[in-house]
Amino acid sequence: MAKIKSLIKMKPKAYKDGEVVQMSLMVMHPMETGMRKDKKTGEMIPAHYINSVKFEYNGKVVTTMNVWESLSTNPVFTTNLKIDGAGELKVTFTENTGEVHENSTKIKPKG
Amino acid sequence: MLRREFFKTLGVVAAATAVVPSMSFAAEAAPKGPNEMSYEAALKAITNGKGATPSSKVSLKVPEIAENGAVVPVTVEVDSPMTEKDYVKTIHIFATKNNNSRCAAVHLTPANGQAMFSSRIKLGQTQDVAAIVEMSDGSFLSAAQSVKVTIGGCG
Repeated sequence: MAKIKSLIKMKPKAYKDGEVVQMSLMVMHPMETGMRKDKKTGEMIPAHYINSVKFEYNGKVVTTMNVWESLSTNPVFTTNLKIDGAGELKVTFTENTGEVHENSTKIKPKG
Repeated sequence: MLRREFFKTLGVVAAATAVVPSMSFAAEAAPKGPNEMSYEAALKAITNGKGATPSSKVSLKVPEIAENGAVVPVTVEVDSPMTEKDYVKTIHIFATKNNNSRCAAVHLTPANGQAMFSSRIKLGQTQDVAAIVEMSDGSFLSAAQSVKVTIGGCG
C-alpha cells in the first residue's frame, strides 16, 4: 500500500507561551466512500478512509476525533491548541483498514 | 440470417442490461452496516432523544452556494471559556442528506484553549449542514445552514 503522507501545521508559526494557536493535520488520503464505481472495470471501489484522529501534547490527549467517509479527499483537521511550555505534539490517525499512522512536531514557544 | 443474429444479440444485451440494475441495487442494499445513518437517527443516538436547542453561541461557517460538492469548507466555532468547569465536550458535524449523515465528532478538552474545528466535507446534493455541540454540563446546542450544491460530490 502506498505510503500515506501527512503534515502538521501551526498557525501562526511563531507563538508565545499561553497563546492559543491553530493546529492542523493535513493528510494525503483518497477517502474512498465505498459507494463509487471504477469506471473501467465497473466494480465498486472498496471503502478506504480515516476513522479517527488523536492529538497528544506532551503525553496528554488534547483532542480526539471520530470521522467518517464524508470528509473530502486529502482532508484537513484543524483545531486550537493552548501553548503550555515546550514539548512535542504527536498526532496519530487510524484508517478503517486498521492501519495506524503517526506524525509529530516540536513545540517551541518564543519568549 | 445476419439480421436475425443481430437481433438475437441485441436481445441478449437487453437482457443483460435489464439484469444489471437490479443486481447493483441488491449490492447497494446489502452493506447497510453502521455506516449508513440518517440525521434523525444520529441526532437521537447522540442526544438520547432530548434534541438540541438552536443557539447563537455556535457559529457555523459554510458557503451558501458550493460549486463543487466534493470540497465544502466547514468551520464551527463555539463561544465558551474552555475552563475545567465549563467547556465544549464534543462538536458533531452532520450533512443531513448524505447517505451517512455523520461527518465528524470532535472531542475537545480545556487544553484546546478555544473551541473551534474546521475541515472540508463532501456533499452529495443540496442540503443542510448542521453542527450539534455538547457542552460539559450535558446540554446540547445546535446551528444549521443550508448549502446549495451545483455538482454533487459523492461518486
